[in-house]
Amino acid sequence: MRLGFVGLGAMGRPMALHLQRAGHELAVWARCPDSTRGLPARVCATPAELGRCCEVVFTMLTSSADVEGVVLGLDGLGEGMAPGTVLVDCSTIAPDAARRIAGKLGEKGIDMLDAPVSGGEQGAIDATLAIMVGGEAAVLERVRPLLDCLGQRIVHIGPNGAGQVAKACNQMIMVAAIQALAEAMRLASASGVDRGLVKNALAGGSAGSRVLEVMGERMVIADYAAGIEARLHHKDFGLLLEAARRVGAPTPLAAVVGQQLNALMAQGWGHDDTAGLLRLLELQ
Amino acid sequence: MKIGFIGLGIMGRPMALNLIKGGHQVTVWARRAESMQPLLEAGATAAGSPADAARANELVISMVADAPDVAEVMRGVASAGQPGLVAVDMSTIAPAAARRIGEDLAAAGVDFVDAPVSGGEVGAIAGSLSIMAGGSAAAFARARPAFECMGKNIVHVGASGAGQVTKAANQIVTGMGVLAVAEAFAFAAKNGVDRGKVREALLGGFASSKILENHGQRMLDRNFKPGFKSWMHEKDLNIVMQTAHELGLCLPGSAATAQMFNAMVGSGMGEEDSIAVLKLLERLSGQA
Repeated sequence: MRLGFVGLGAMGRPMALHLQRAGHELAVWARCPDSTRGLPARVCATPAELGRCCEVVFTMLTSSADVEGVVLGLDGLGEGMAPGTVLVDCSTIAPDAARRIAGKLGEKGIDMLDAPVSGGEQGAIDATLAIMVGGEAAVLERVRPLLDCLGQRIVHIGPNGAGQVAKACNQMIMVAAIQALAEAMRLASASGVDRGLVKNALAGGSAGSRVLEVMGERMVIADYAAGIEARLHHKDFGLLLEAARRVGAPTPLAAVVGQQLNALMAQGWGHDDTAGLLRLLELQ
Repeated sequence: MKIGFIGLGIMGRPMALNLIKGGHQVTVWARRAESMQPLLEAGATAAGSPADAARANELVISMVADAPDVAEVMRGVASAGQPGLVAVDMSTIAPAAARRIGEDLAAAGVDFVDAPVSGGEVGAIAGSLSIMAGGSAAAFARARPAFECMGKNIVHVGASGAGQVTKAANQIVTGMGVLAVAEAFAFAAKNGVDRGKVREALLGGFASSKILENHGQRMLDRNFKPGFKSWMHEKDLNIVMQTAHELGLCLPGSAATAQMFNAMVGSGMGEEDSIAVLKLLERLSGQA
């Protein structure tokens, strides 16, 4: 199949390579041409040009505005993609934005799936991402073989926007767990107890989790080099708190965690791992 | 002075009336023509558009719901091409939005003052609003005679946006203040202690405040009629939370309070006064 990919960052690049290695013809566009270097792909001059030569286009960008710009902006994908082609947006953006983009593309007969992922850079490299999909089931079935190249767990959640709602739920739970873990580590240290031993003991019990394993280790050895850049979680919390207020869903814990992320940004730790929430507690 | 007034809702109507009472020549515009009627009866002239409300006037004032509304009416004001005009927005919007609107108006040669108010409908009717202004000293001085008809405590806080920053700070204090009084009352009641007596005792000490006095009394009377609707308080605290997110600012108390108002809106109490947060607390603690 002729596939397009926009957004060749830490996540996007390995994802694009998996698709190419599976035998598909790959075309790419990047705002910064350097990021296309070394890719076995046709490099297009604009998103519109990319859209014209592809049956399915993937996007993996940072913000709602980025995706809206690349898809609906001047020389955007929407100008080039033909009716019957599919846009798969793997970015984490606002559910409302996903619905808006799907609506605009729908007017041109272009199908869209919101398909945000969880699993981080390592999951992207290992092709073990969890993919949560919003959009029509029939469209998902058409591109499912492609998603199988990227991840192991592909779940159709509901109509457009539903994938982004699921991702918001994922981020809410994960970062709250990181905060809980940081507080536990702080309590252990303040009580004169070895953090590493606490972490090892907890791993076998009811508090055991992937967050405990991965983030817990980073906290024990005080290694906060990213990982997942905390600024991205900060961005996600802006989105999910706004999504919660739109529907009047109470999220008191997420609200407090959001404030800790604001403080972390204020400390200038946005490019470090979110395990740095512990460092914030150590300031107090 | 010749003044245009845009937006004649719960707040805007009495504010415009007070300008007329103060002897100013007032032109009004509102999206719904029928809301202009009481003002026309009081001697105002009707304008056909926001641009029309700016034309031939020295000052134009807006009092509308949200930033997109302000931006829209101010685009009309800018298009009027009225030389030497000062535009004043008294709505509550985000500081960043106010600064943007100020820049757009400056490009059209119009001076802009953001001047949100505190004091509610009662203050608007009595002409006793607190007015917190941001903008140049010269523009503030031009608007001051109008402010004096509408408010008592009038402070020029700083440059463009500073008025909205002050209003956001006001909403932090009032939002948490209402929640604090409601929590104190829920605490007293669950302990079997008379809330009215608690209020009376507290009014003599450091916990005394207008919120304890006025809002506290309405909580005792279980009078949840707005006043200030909880969805509007939620909207204002959302301005605070979004600004904090953009700046990297940790506001845990405001965040918790915003969530209480969010839950009120979500559970159908959005149209009630924000003091109805007491009912939410009571429901959560099985006191309802």
